[in-house]
Amino acid sequence: MKTSARVVLALASIFFSCLTFAQSATVLYNERVVVIDEVLPDASDLWVKPEDLTRINDFELKPQGACLDELCIPVLQDRDSDMFVTRQDQGWFNVTELANILQQSWVADYGAGVWSFGGMPVERRAFFQSAEAPDFLLPDRDGNLVSLSDFAGKQLLLLTWASW
Amino acid sequence: MPVWQVIYEELQAENPNFEIVSFAQDSGGETDAGPIFDAANATYTSVIDANHTISALYNLVNVPSAVWIDEEGKIVRINEGTYAKNHGAFGTDEYVPIVRDWVANGADSPYVWDTETVSEKIFQRTPEAERAQPTFRLGTYFFASGDEVKAEQYWDMAQELDPTSWNYLRQDIMYEDGGSAGPEWRARRDAVEGAGGTYYAPLDIEPVPNNDR
Repeated sequence: MKTSARVVLALASIFFSCLTFAQSATVLYNERVVVIDEVLPDASDLWVKPEDLTRINDFELKPQGACLDELCIPVLQDRDSDMFVTRQDQGWFNVTELANILQQSWVADYGAGVWSFGGMPVERRAFFQSAEAPDFLLPDRDGNLVSLSDFAGKQLLLLTWASW
Repeated sequence: MPVWQVIYEELQAENPNFEIVSFAQDSGGETDAGPIFDAANATYTSVIDANHTISALYNLVNVPSAVWIDEEGKIVRINEGTYAKNHGAFGTDEYVPIVRDWVANGADSPYVWDTETVSEKIFQRTPEAERAQPTFRLGTYFFASGDEVKAEQYWDMAQELDPTSWNYLRQDIMYEDGGSAGPEWRARRDAVEGAGGTYYAPLDIEPVPNNDR
């Protein structure tokens, strides 16, 4: 076999192994640590199956777009775009592109396959404009989830401190 | 901490509608913060916030900090360096009396701020500083996974993105020589205060005249 043919064959095998070898990812958002079994390999962006999008940030892919409550970001699904592509009948959603549109900051450690997303500005608009307390959801020391709504109707003193 | 427990018991006896939720900004989790909650015999809601989520969410840059939230979920005071008492080198006896006033008088307390004042008092972050939050979060993930090299890398990056956060600085240097209140912290604090800045967000306990909220 000629050297050039060997190279082509080697490249082709790498290409196909990338296509078939499942890559996983870990996604951090608020307190969530979501392990995604299979992502679409990409040099910079995070592409996940639509059901995994919901596990990450509660957005649901609907015919009209990616939606969270009343907010819907239009997504074309009958053709490929920056937000959505179809590969072998499997749809893939670009979570980082959605974050960019929402002006949600994110950072990735590509080596470890870990993605970390900041808060969504849309969820804090009422905090800045009308002094509405942002909601939170964290476990207390006994493991019970605590959210702001648990204190509805109360006068709440929220304190932060640290051991350091 | 033990002081807040005493105040909590006093104020709850007076007004059962009053609650405290206390968030330890401690990436070391239960190991670092747990014994302090235990020693305080805390009966209010106690949360260990390893990712500093609450500071990110409410734009707080130091500890201790406090936010007052009313019955409707509205913020009526925010972003103050708050201690329960004067501890000598730090702290103040001026804060608890205004909390007491709020618990007694609710919206009629002269220490309740209107929406406009709260909006002005919320600490403003740059877009870079907003990016510090997921970066710090990534560092904390690696810290919890035992990868101290990557934890350090992202915690350092978070401090560069948000130099206003004392939390990010001190959480990080807690695990370094010198500790969280050592020479590095002292130098940074002196530099900020020397330039006319403040280490703790200053208390503004002037009563609001004719508060008609």
